Amino acid sequence: MMQLLQDMHILTLLILVPLIGALVTFLSGKHAKASKYVALTFSAVTLILATLLLLYTDLAKMNVNDYQYYEKFEWIKALGVNFAVGVDGISVPMVWLTALLCFLAILFSWDVENRTKEYMGLMLVLELGVMGVFMSLDYFMFYVFWEIVLIPMFFLISIWGGPRREYAAIKFFIYTHIASLVMLLAIFALYFQAHLGSFDMIAIQQQNPFFGREFQIAIFAALFFGFGVKMPIVPFHTWLPDAHVEAPTAGSVLLAGLLLKMGAYGILRIALPTLPTGAHELQWLLLAIAILSIMYGAFASLAQRDLKKMVAFSSISHMGLVLLGIATLGTIGIAAGVFQMFAHGLITAILFMVCGVVQHKAGTREISKLGGLAVKVPWLATFIMIGFMASLGLPGLVGFAAEFSIFFATWEAFKWILLIPIISVAITAAYYIWAMQRTIFGPLTDRIDTSHLRDVSWYEAAPLAVLCVFIILFGLFPSTMFDIIRPAASAIAHLFPGVI
Amino acid sequence: MLYPLIVMAVFAVAAPAVRAIGKSDRATAGWAIIGIAASMYFALNFFISGSSRGEFAGLLRLDAFSALFMLVFQSVALYVVIASIKYVDKEKNTGEYYALILLATTGMMVVASSVDLITLFVGIELTSLSSYALVAFRKKDKRGAEAAVKYFIIGGLSSALALFGISLLYGAVGVTNFYEIGAKLALVSGSMQPVLLLSVVLIMAGFGFKVAIVPFHMWAPDVYEGAPTTITAMLAAGSKKMGFVALFKVFLLSMVAIRADWQLMAGILAIATMTLGNLIAVQQTSIKRMLAYSSIAQAGYIMIVLPIAVVGDPSLANYGLQGGIFHIITHAFMKGGAFIVVATLSVVALGEQISDYKGLSKRAPLMALAMAVMLFSLAGIPPLAGFASKFVLFSGPVYASQIGGNEWMLWLAIAGILNSALSLYYYARIVKYMYVDKGPEDKLKIPVSMSVAVAICFLAVVLIGLYPEPVLKVAGEAAKAFFLP
Repeated sequence: MMQLLQDMHILTLLILVPLIGALVTFLSGKHAKASKYVALTFSAVTLILATLLLLYTDLAKMNVNDYQYYEKFEWIKALGVNFAVGVDGISVPMVWLTALLCFLAILFSWDVENRTKEYMGLMLVLELGVMGVFMSLDYFMFYVFWEIVLIPMFFLISIWGGPRREYAAIKFFIYTHIASLVMLLAIFALYFQAHLGSFDMIAIQQQNPFFGREFQIAIFAALFFGFGVKMPIVPFHTWLPDAHVEAPTAGSVLLAGLLLKMGAYGILRIALPTLPTGAHELQWLLLAIAILSIMYGAFASLAQRDLKKMVAFSSISHMGLVLLGIATLGTIGIAAGVFQMFAHGLITAILFMVCGVVQHKAGTREISKLGGLAVKVPWLATFIMIGFMASLGLPGLVGFAAEFSIFFATWEAFKWILLIPIISVAITAAYYIWAMQRTIFGPLTDRIDTSHLRDVSWYEAAPLAVLCVFIILFGLFPSTMFDIIRPAASAIAHLFPGVI
Repeated sequence: MLYPLIVMAVFAVAAPAVRAIGKSDRATAGWAIIGIAASMYFALNFFISGSSRGEFAGLLRLDAFSALFMLVFQSVALYVVIASIKYVDKEKNTGEYYALILLATTGMMVVASSVDLITLFVGIELTSLSSYALVAFRKKDKRGAEAAVKYFIIGGLSSALALFGISLLYGAVGVTNFYEIGAKLALVSGSMQPVLLLSVVLIMAGFGFKVAIVPFHMWAPDVYEGAPTTITAMLAAGSKKMGFVALFKVFLLSMVAIRADWQLMAGILAIATMTLGNLIAVQQTSIKRMLAYSSIAQAGYIMIVLPIAVVGDPSLANYGLQGGIFHIITHAFMKGGAFIVVATLSVVALGEQISDYKGLSKRAPLMALAMAVMLFSLAGIPPLAGFASKFVLFSGPVYASQIGGNEWMLWLAIAGILNSALSLYYYARIVKYMYVDKGPEDKLKIPVSMSVAVAICFLAVVLIGLYPEPVLKVAGEAAKAFFLP
C-alpha cells in the first residue's frame, strides 16, 4: 500500500485534488446546489487520501530529512526552484487536520445562500494553499502557498463576514502580508548566504554550520516575526480578534484551526532546523513571548462579552502554549507543541462552530444576553460543553494530553518558570466555566426572543459530532499521534545538544 | 539584422496610404497587426535560429538583450492596436493613429538595439514625438489636448537636459559608443570630475522625466489621465520601459567607472519614487490616476537595478539586471493590461472613477477577473507574474548587501517590500469594490476585439506566474548579452 501511495504521487494529489475541485466549482454554472456537492466531493476525496497517508506512515522513517513520501519535479531551473513536497512526523498530522477541517467546514456551510459557488470554490483554494504550506520543501513554493492562503481568506471575510468585515479583511490581508514579506527577506538572505543557487529547504538547512552567529540571530528574528504574526504572538496579534469576529463561521474554523498552525509549523520546519544557533541564542525571547501570549490571551478572554471574541482570545493563549513547547528546544516539548497544534485545531473548530450556531439560532453572541440554553437546545448545549471542557484541558480529552506534556517539558527545561504559565490553566478554567454557567445553565434568558430557538441542524450536528469523536479518541489514545510526531521532533531537538 | 526595424518603419509609413486606399479602419488596423507580426517574426527568429549577434555600423546591435526588448515593445504595440480597433472606431485619422503607434514602437526598438549615444537619442525622440501626437489624438477633447501640451513641454525639456548631459559626456571622453565611454571614463583625469558629475545629474534628470521617477514625475498622472486610454497603456508599458533601457545603457555600461558619483543618489531616488508613488496612489479616486501613480511606484522598484548592478560583482550585475528586465516584461503586461481593461470598460460607458467599479463582478465577470488578476499581480501576490519578477528583483539588493561595503543596499529591498505591502491596500480596495460591493445590476456587453487584447495580457500574467522559467531564462541571457562589449 505504501508503495502504491508513493507511485500515485499522493502528496501532489493532495494539492491537485482541491485545485481541480476549485476549478470545477467555479465553473459549475448557475446551480448553487451542485457546487456544494462538487466541493464536498472533492474535499472528501482529499480527506480519504490524507487518511491513507496518516494510516500508512512508517514510524521508523518519520525523521526530519528522511521523508518516507517525497516528490520532486523541476519548476524554475533559472532560479533553482523545484516543486518539492515531502512529509515527516510534523507534517502528517497537519495534513490530515487540514483535510478533515476543510471537509467539515464545507459541510457546516451547507446553508450558505449568498454566492454559494464562489464560497465553495474559495474554501477549496484555501485547502490547497494550506496543504501546500504543510508539505513544501522548497522556499519559493512554500512562500507561494503561504501567500495563496491569504486571498481566499480575504474574500471569505470581506464577502461573507460580519458588520465590520471590510475593515477586518483589509487589516488581516495587509498585516499578515507584511509579515510574509519580512519572512521573504529572510529567505533571500538564506538563499544567498548558502551559495547553492537553490531554494531547496533541506539543502540550505544542511549549510547551517557555515552561517555565522550574528547572521543566524538576525535571520531567526526575522523569521520568528514572519511566522509569529501568523500564530499570532503578542504583541502582533491585533489582526486576529478583528478577523475572527468578522469572519463567517467556517472561515473562523479554518483561520484558527489551520492558518494559525502555519506560523508554528514554519518555526518548526524552517526557523529551528536551519538556524539552530539563532534559535538557541533567542530561546529566552521565545520563552518570554510564549508566556506573554499565554497570559495575555487568557486574561483577555476573561474580559470578553462576546462568545466568539472569547474563543478568539483563547486561541492566542493556546497558541502560546505551542510556542512554549517549542521554546524548550527538547524532544518532548516540540512533540507536545505539535500535538497541541493538532489538538487546538480540533477543539477550536468545535468552539467556533458552536459560536456560529449560537449566533445563527439565537441571533446574538453576547454572553450576558444568553442563558439557560440547555433547557431549550440540549444538543447545542452538549456540544458547547464538550468544546469548553476540551479547551480548558479536561483529562481524557485531547487538550489535556497536549498541555500536560508541554508543562512537563517546561518543568524539565526551565524549572520554576513553569509557575507563571501554569496559572493560565486556572484562568482558562475560570472563563470557560463562567461563560458556560451564564450561557447554558440557569433559567432561560428573557433578554432575547427564544420562542424560535431551534437545536442544531443535521449539517451542523454532523461536523460537531465527528470532531467530538476525535477529541475523545485522541484524548484517550494520544500516543497514536505522539508516535508519529516524536521521531521528527527528536531530530529537531538533536540540533540542540546542550538543552536536554 | 535591421529587418525588425525596417519592417516596422515601412508598415508605419504605409499605414496612412492603406487607410486612404482601403477606406477601412479595420483594414488599417489589420495592416498594422501584420506589420507588427512580421517584425516580431524577425525578432523571434533571433532566438529560434540561435544566430550570433549582428551589428550595424557600430550604431545598432541585435543581441539577446535588444531582441528581447524588441519583442516586449512589439507585444505592447500588438495588444494596443488590437484594443484600438474598437476604441478608436468613431474617430478620424485612424491611418495616422496606427502609423504613429508603429513609429513610436520603431523608436523604442532603436533604443533597445542602440550601442551609441546618438542612436539612443534619435530613438527616444522618434518615440517621444510620435507619442505627443498620439496623446492629442482626440483633437476636440480638452483634457487630451492639455495633457499633450504638458507632455510636449516636459518632454522637450527633458530631452534638452539629457542632450546637454550627453554632450558634456562626449566632451569629456570624445567617443559616443557606450562600451568605449565605459573604458575611457576609467582613465579620465580627476579634473574632469565636476563636468562628469554635472553630466550624470543632467542625464539622470532627462531620462528621469521619461521614466517618471520622483521628483520628475509630476507630468505622468495628468498625461496618463488625459490621453486616450489605449495610448496610456502604451506610454506605461512601452515608452516608460524604453526610458529604462536608456538608463541601463548609459549608467550600467558607460558610467560604471564613476559609480561613486551616482550609486547612492540612484538608490535614494528609487526609494523616494516607490514610496511617494504608493502614498499618493492610495488617495486617488480616478482609476487612471491611481494606475499612473502605481506606475511611478513600479518605476521605483525597477530603479533598484541601477545601484546594485554596478557593485563590481559580475554575477550580481547579471542577476540584478535579469530581475530588472524580468520585472519590466511582467509590468508591461500587467500594467498595460490594467489600462486596457479600463479602456475596454470606458467603451461600454463605464466611468473612470474607482467607485464606478462597484459590483463589476456581476456586470462583466471576465473583465473583473482580469482586472483583479492584474492588480494582485501588480501587488506581487503569488502565483502571478508580478510576484515572480518582484521575487527576483527584490532579492538582488539582499545579494548585494552580503558583499562587503554595500550593507546599505538591504534598505532597497526593505523599502521595496514595505511598499509592496502598502500598494496592496489600494489594489485590494479596487478588488473589494468589484467583488464585494453592490453596484448597478445591468450586464455590460464587452467588444470581442478588446477582450482579445485583455486576454493576451491576462494569459501572459498567469502563465508567466505559473511557469516563469522560459522568460526568466531569456532575461538572464539578455542580461549577459547586455554587458558583453
